[in-house]
Amino acid sequence: MEYEIEILPKKGFTDLHGARVLSDIMQAGIKDVKKTGYSPVYAIDGITKAEADLIGWEILSDKITETFFITESSTTAKDRGCKELSSGGEKVHAIEVWFKKGVTDTVSESVVKAIKDLGITKEVKVKTGHIYYIYGAVGKQVLEKIATTVLANTLIQDYKINELR
Amino acid sequence: MAMPKALIIRTAGTNCDFEAQKAFELCGAKAERIHVNELLTSASKILSYDILLVPGGFSYGDDIASGKILANEIKNKLGDKIKRFALSGKPVIGICNGFQVLVKMGLLPDPELFDQTATLSYNDSGRFECRWVYLKNEKNKCLWTKDLPEIITLPVAHGEGKFIAANSETLKEIEDNSQVVFRYVNADGSKADYPADPNGSVNAISGICNDKGNVFGLMPHPERYVYALQHPAREGFDGKYGCGKKIFQNAVDYLK
Repeated sequence: MEYEIEILPKKGFTDLHGARVLSDIMQAGIKDVKKTGYSPVYAIDGITKAEADLIGWEILSDKITETFFITESSTTAKDRGCKELSSGGEKVHAIEVWFKKGVTDTVSESVVKAIKDLGITKEVKVKTGHIYYIYGAVGKQVLEKIATTVLANTLIQDYKINELR
Repeated sequence: MAMPKALIIRTAGTNCDFEAQKAFELCGAKAERIHVNELLTSASKILSYDILLVPGGFSYGDDIASGKILANEIKNKLGDKIKRFALSGKPVIGICNGFQVLVKMGLLPDPELFDQTATLSYNDSGRFECRWVYLKNEKNKCLWTKDLPEIITLPVAHGEGKFIAANSETLKEIEDNSQVVFRYVNADGSKADYPADPNGSVNAISGICNDKGNVFGLMPHPERYVYALQHPAREGFDGKYGCGKKIFQNAVDYLK
């Protein structure tokens, strides 16, 4: 089974990367966005749910400042961890950025090593990605511009835009 | 004791191991830089050393988080030996990335517990901070910092140096138990704000030790201030040497 493990700051801890993304978006001349969030995400194929929990806790998240959110890769992309962080009814889009097929993903190699060090010795495949949350009423064209000019290097990365709420 | 033997664990991305080796040698110890893979094939070798150092750098490219992958590797594959080494009372030090490794594997603040109860997280600035800082040498039980002046200076270079305890009880225990070794301060010893405090650590903590005082971790780099010549103003602490040398000397002298 393939699981996606998304890493989020615990409540009370600042999302520094998310804040920096907002600054980058504003510097690109896009003024429509008021709030952003960021989560690294790891797609791991060949593990059980219990192993995903162990990997999320022991390797991928910081036990003190971060939490993690697991989804089956096959489930709808609308089910993302930002729902745990954000209450209220404001609109939320997620821009996901992943490497294109064939591009070397060096961090994934480190994660595979760490999983083996943890004692899970069977073969696993790992992909690393990024989820950027864009809060507020932002139009599709603006989201496309954010994705292509700020968030993704389209030469080596694919992106997809999902409306979460 | 004859010449003490220091073990410096290196791996992909560590980059302060040479400086640490030279510092130990200057202080009268024999120091060996051993790759972690070599230790995995002969873990018991660890216990034949007298001092253990985890150096600074960017182990495994700081992938996932600084020090995380090396901490996971050491804890799961060499954990028994490392814990025994620490509990035996022999000097152990983690510098910068090495401090992150010790904290994330749980060797600090309590090697007996050997579970992560603190972390070193992203600097408040969100940026890599690289400069000389002033540190207050607190009244503490750390064998590595004996006879240092109250205020010293050392360089820092890190993106994830903000010390955070898991909860207020852990922080209180570290404070009440005199396990806080260094705090970021201004040159006159007063409370520092950014940039004198480079990362916004809780209580401006820049280094801690365990209850016994033999396991020490710090974000600043003592191995980069062994000679006065390494200081931007050529200031020495002990003649031609810098205060970093004193830290290494204390561990070597402790074993003699």
